[in-house]
Amino acid sequence: MKVNILRRETRDKEPYWESFIYNGPEDNSVAGLLDYINYNDDIRNDKGEKTTRIDWECSCIQGICGACAMIVNDKPVLACEAFLRDIEGEEITLRPLSKFPVIHDLVVERPMHEILTDNNVFIGEYSPAENRDFQQDYNAAKCLKCGLCIEVCPKYTDGRMFYGAPFANDCYLVAARNEQKAGEIAEIYEKHFKSECAYDLACEKICPMGIKFTASMKKLNSIKRGDGDRSF
Amino acid sequence: MDALIIGSGIAGMACAVRLARHGIHVTLISPSLSEHSESVMAAGGINAMLTENDEGDSVESHVQDTLKGGSYIGGEEAVRGLCGHGEEIIRFLESIGTVFSVDGEGRPSRRAFGGQSHKRTYYCGASTGKQIVSALVMETRRFEAAGMITRRLKYSFHSGLIKDGICYGALLFNLERSRLEAFFSDFTVIATGGQNALFGKTTGSTMCDGYAAGRLFMQGADLKNLEFIQYHPTTLETPQKKMLISEAVRGEGGRLFYLENGERVYFMEDKYGEKGNLMTRDIVSREIYGCGKDVFLDISFLDGQTIDERLPEVRDLCMKYRGIDIKKEPIPVTPSVHFFMGGLAVHLNHETSILNLFAVGECASMYHGANRLGGNSLLSAMYSGFVAADEISGRYSHRKYPDFSTYMENERKILNKDYDSRSSFPVFYIRDLLSVTMNDDLGIVRDEKNLKKGRKKTDYYLSVADKLRYDRSVSQYTNYSLKAMLTLAGATLKAAEERRESRGAHYRSDYNETKDEYAYATLVSYINGDYSVRLDRENIYES
Repeated sequence: MKVNILRRETRDKEPYWESFIYNGPEDNSVAGLLDYINYNDDIRNDKGEKTTRIDWECSCIQGICGACAMIVNDKPVLACEAFLRDIEGEEITLRPLSKFPVIHDLVVERPMHEILTDNNVFIGEYSPAENRDFQQDYNAAKCLKCGLCIEVCPKYTDGRMFYGAPFANDCYLVAARNEQKAGEIAEIYEKHFKSECAYDLACEKICPMGIKFTASMKKLNSIKRGDGDRSF
Repeated sequence: MDALIIGSGIAGMACAVRLARHGIHVTLISPSLSEHSESVMAAGGINAMLTENDEGDSVESHVQDTLKGGSYIGGEEAVRGLCGHGEEIIRFLESIGTVFSVDGEGRPSRRAFGGQSHKRTYYCGASTGKQIVSALVMETRRFEAAGMITRRLKYSFHSGLIKDGICYGALLFNLERSRLEAFFSDFTVIATGGQNALFGKTTGSTMCDGYAAGRLFMQGADLKNLEFIQYHPTTLETPQKKMLISEAVRGEGGRLFYLENGERVYFMEDKYGEKGNLMTRDIVSREIYGCGKDVFLDISFLDGQTIDERLPEVRDLCMKYRGIDIKKEPIPVTPSVHFFMGGLAVHLNHETSILNLFAVGECASMYHGANRLGGNSLLSAMYSGFVAADEISGRYSHRKYPDFSTYMENERKILNKDYDSRSSFPVFYIRDLLSVTMNDDLGIVRDEKNLKKGRKKTDYYLSVADKLRYDRSVSQYTNYSLKAMLTLAGATLKAAEERRESRGAHYRSDYNETKDEYAYATLVSYINGDYSVRLDRENIYES
């Protein structure tokens, strides 16, 4: 199998394509494929030229940390959950997520943590509303901050004004746990999410954790409207 | 006063938020987001004695279960502190928004875990670690916004800034700029997790490699109980790694069996009775290893709704990676390296043998003795972070730092020398050899011959490591971490060789009895390039 990878040495250098030939196990994932190529004693590209090892992030290798998010054949995925058996054709193309600055090869800088900190999206004093929806809280708290939802979002550009689904998700988690802060959080949510969201719901479809962003958004919208439906 | 915490998983964050609450500024270092830490992989639950626990359960009962599980070398005073704070920790986690699974009346639910006399494992579905991480990330963010915690991402540990047995901070490697930077601090806390990478790919994170413990060992810190390595009895083999099948499956009634003449043999129940499947992990692992057959774990008899509610992550993992429907068929399981009871030796206050240097979480050896009970790791990660923070908050700032410029210049030269190399000798090659050695010679069942063989090999790799010209296309961290990892591996083999008995997770086929003369922790010091192994008969780390 031919593997085409969009590589980059550093932030300030231009990206370039390099191809490799993969002859490893057919039941591997893309994460396994990258390990296979990198762990060879001598790494060479498809022209037989000696080259450098491919940099990518990984930690759990089982779809629960989100570190290995990348684009495989034009589809944003977690590399450890993308299996070669599902790839059509004899070639596979790997690119870093396109909405974030690339640090090196397939490694990107995801800004969600800074955005959430800068906007005071934290619980503070815990005072949850009555009738909490534990299932929704549980699902929302599984967000990996992997960035796949942002990659497919038609509205997210550079993260300066519109912050994307992980932002809305954490706003929900704060509002669900601190009733006093719910109004303040709903205002921030309105400004940096709701007013721009296209309700395309690509975020929900791609989420590897299956988080129901719409349920979070519905609750935050009702707080914003002040229609009294503040149950969680 | 300030503190430097290296590692931002549960133990690191617990320490950070506790220090921030004490008014102490924290710099929190990690190569990646907390969401990428190994802590998110802890599945099953967290043990605690709460007032609503079953009648007959008590803190004392939790203490006795923990000490017994650890074959009575876990340190009684330390274990009493751990178990005595279970309720406080659960209440704290609830108060920062951790989403515990609840019963019909909204109270946190409990499940049974191996080696426990009562049902006291509180849980969040099958992703307890992830839920705790999410809550702690939010709480950390609160103090980041207030300027009390500063996160520095894309940094890895290089070495301690240590002089005359006192730590003044750490030399860190800036992964993006590929350079060493000094971070001075009143107190330094290591929270870097276990030494998984010595064994290649385990159930845990690829980021946990034991380097920090190995390097600090070479800089004078004592190590403890390295030979006690927990094999989790139920992991699922996949092409990329062995994946943990949570003990929650057995907690929910899962049964282990193998096939003989087409009939199921429930070997754990046959040998140990009704609770056989929930024996401690060391016993179950040895029984699976010893039976020499393909072993399966069956939960398919539970109704589908219960599986969906209580074990959704296990259901999804088996389907995704192996196409196994756990509602219809049993799971093929095999033991795999899972947790390290050994690590940096720490006193009751979690300070290492080096003044002002602390260690918390899995990289520190405390509480678990010769074998850890399921559900006690999350408890100890939280508790150890709190203990270290409380200790630091009672100390004074020294604010006078010795001159480390010669040390730093020397380390930079060593790094640059490796980086200037044009050789293609891959450090991965030696890491692969190391993992084969450790799995072969330090497995579930050990003997002197294999342990000596393993040591001979690690000694050889170490002798080569000094002469290597590294492959410059591998990250410099991967290169410079090799020698300390090999040193840690050598110390581990030596500790296992010196413990000529069987205890907990350390099983010797040539010394298969537990001996009173070995009822102490093992300590290892690094002296003039060699390992000095002794038993802690004076209990110096029990104070």
